[in-house]
Amino acid sequence: MDRTKILVVDDNPTIRKGLSVRLRANDYEVLFAEDAISATAALVTERPDLVILDLGLPGGDGFVVMERLQRNDRLAGIPVIVLTGRELADNRDRALQAGATAFFQKPVDDSTLLFAIRKALDVSRGELRFDE
Amino acid sequence: MPTQPSSDLSAYLSHELRNALACIHQFGNILVDGLAGELTGEQREYVGIMLENASKIRAVLDGALDGVPGPPEK
Repeated sequence: MDRTKILVVDDNPTIRKGLSVRLRANDYEVLFAEDAISATAALVTERPDLVILDLGLPGGDGFVVMERLQRNDRLAGIPVIVLTGRELADNRDRALQAGATAFFQKPVDDSTLLFAIRKALDVSRGELRFDE
Repeated sequence: MPTQPSSDLSAYLSHELRNALACIHQFGNILVDGLAGELTGEQREYVGIMLENASKIRAVLDGALDGVPGPPEK
């Protein structure tokens, strides 16, 4: 069985590195994008199982990435977990309305993030409902 | 408690400080969890001190920038 593929979208290379170490230790395959344009390209070519998305990105912010994802029928079911340094006000509600499965401010506890990933994947595979 | 910063300053501080804190938090936990090799007891203690203080900074940030009460002063 193929390993679950997670696309990490963040313009900060240290954040990408830290997430990759943690996710690979939990047996996920990790892909990267550092801006909105390469994120959109990776979504189309790689069709990841889940996206961890920063909001503050070069080339269009994380909301642009979510909008492009939602407009594409082949990609619209991919769960998106927003992980951002931006403020809660305005961003959390807007991200959830734009289709994000979960919203976390940096820094997030590893156990919290890993639980959200497992839950989002279970929901997207039809093994769990959102309210469970 | 200082007065709330302006919204531009608040957004800037939130982004910059939260990203820096996230790096400390991520790599501190990677070390503690042995993902980069096992630590000695003393090394684990020192990284634990770093993480504990990073958490205090996060609590202050949450209170100052997002209106969430910080930890009580001792």
